[in-house]
Amino acid sequence: MKTSAVVSDTIGKHPSTNADDKAAALERVQRARTGDVDAFEVLYREHSPRIYALCLRLKGGDKSDATELLQDVFIKAWRRLDTFRGDSAFVSWLHRLAVNTMLENARSDQRRTARVLPMEDTSRLAGAARSSGVESRMDMEGAIASLPKGARLAFVLHDVEGYQHQEIAEQLSVSVGTVKAQLHRARRLLRERLES
Amino acid sequence: MTHDVIKHLLDDYVTGDLTDEARPPVEEHVISCALCAAEVESLKRILARAAELPETADPPEDAWSNIRSAISRDESAVRANDSVSRSGIWQRRYVFAAAAAILVAVLSSAGTALYMNGHYSGARSSRAVANTSSGEATPAMLAAFTIEENNYLRTASLLQDLLDQQEASLAPETVAQLKASLRTIDEAILEARNALARDPANKLLVEMLSASYRQKVDLLRRTTEMTRGT
Repeated sequence: MKTSAVVSDTIGKHPSTNADDKAAALERVQRARTGDVDAFEVLYREHSPRIYALCLRLKGGDKSDATELLQDVFIKAWRRLDTFRGDSAFVSWLHRLAVNTMLENARSDQRRTARVLPMEDTSRLAGAARSSGVESRMDMEGAIASLPKGARLAFVLHDVEGYQHQEIAEQLSVSVGTVKAQLHRARRLLRERLES
Repeated sequence: MTHDVIKHLLDDYVTGDLTDEARPPVEEHVISCALCAAEVESLKRILARAAELPETADPPEDAWSNIRSAISRDESAVRANDSVSRSGIWQRRYVFAAAAAILVAVLSSAGTALYMNGHYSGARSSRAVANTSSGEATPAMLAAFTIEENNYLRTASLLQDLLDQQEASLAPETVAQLKASLRTIDEAILEARNALARDPANKLLVEMLSASYRQKVDLLRRTTEMTRGT
């Protein structure tokens, strides 16, 4: 899954789009910067499924929280389009915005009562579930959703999204060692839950 | 390397993160150790399952309309801010006076008064009262709120710029506390905005958002005044 050839402006299994796609995205971004909401909607339609899948996993499968995060991400993206310089894929920029927004929101969440992570909404992730691997994927989504938050973030960002240890450490403001420890914990818990 | 050391390297071994020097002894050990070999296979299965997860999920249909509602409200204010930020000389020389003037306008605007912690008791029509009591914002309230929101965005932007310029004159702990407070208020604003995007006529949400705006402007104003006095 994770490749060691990930570069800083792309995301592991989601490499940068080709030059034509990148140019087209940049053109849409430039139009959106001028206030063209229709151009921004095209960007949303194109990228929201990927970002929503990430939001769902970051939020432990909670559909309501994930939708709220998705909306926050795109509202922030609209407001910060000027900061997108075009030297990375737009979707990579959105990914980072999603993770940062989730972390910012988490700080305020800490002031609230901890919630039990719901499991049923993980069905959303398998929305395209038609193949014979559906059940296996559902188990996996449910197992990921049930991980402790730190372990879940590390696993989703590293093993699902392909971020590097160093990138995750920077985004979460922790050491690389902590990221590795959380990853080890996540994988151990997943193995216990899925293979016992 | 012993088994106890190597078992801690198996994650990196499986993901290819071991150095060229560390990899051969681990590889050699895994071939001869059944426990580690089983662990390696188990890790590979987990990573393979992670790789099979779908990359996309369909967001709810109404997500875009909520986003669009929120950004539509930004448009006019953003344009106003852009025109302000382009006039750099004006910004440098008269920013504080302008910010103060706008602040006065915000705090004294009908819209602000309308939503100031329920103090409003002015000449509302009986129809407006009826609608307000039902928890639904009247068109007049929403119009006043839009004016207030635009004023807020301009004022907050000007004060924030001014504060950024003067930050060095504040103690680091004060800056940290200020940023934490602003972050908290921004989070409250974002939450209220999102909720209002979903329920645009909700009077309570309008009031909550309005109160958060005032709180932020007040904090910025007090801080810039403090830096001016230092």
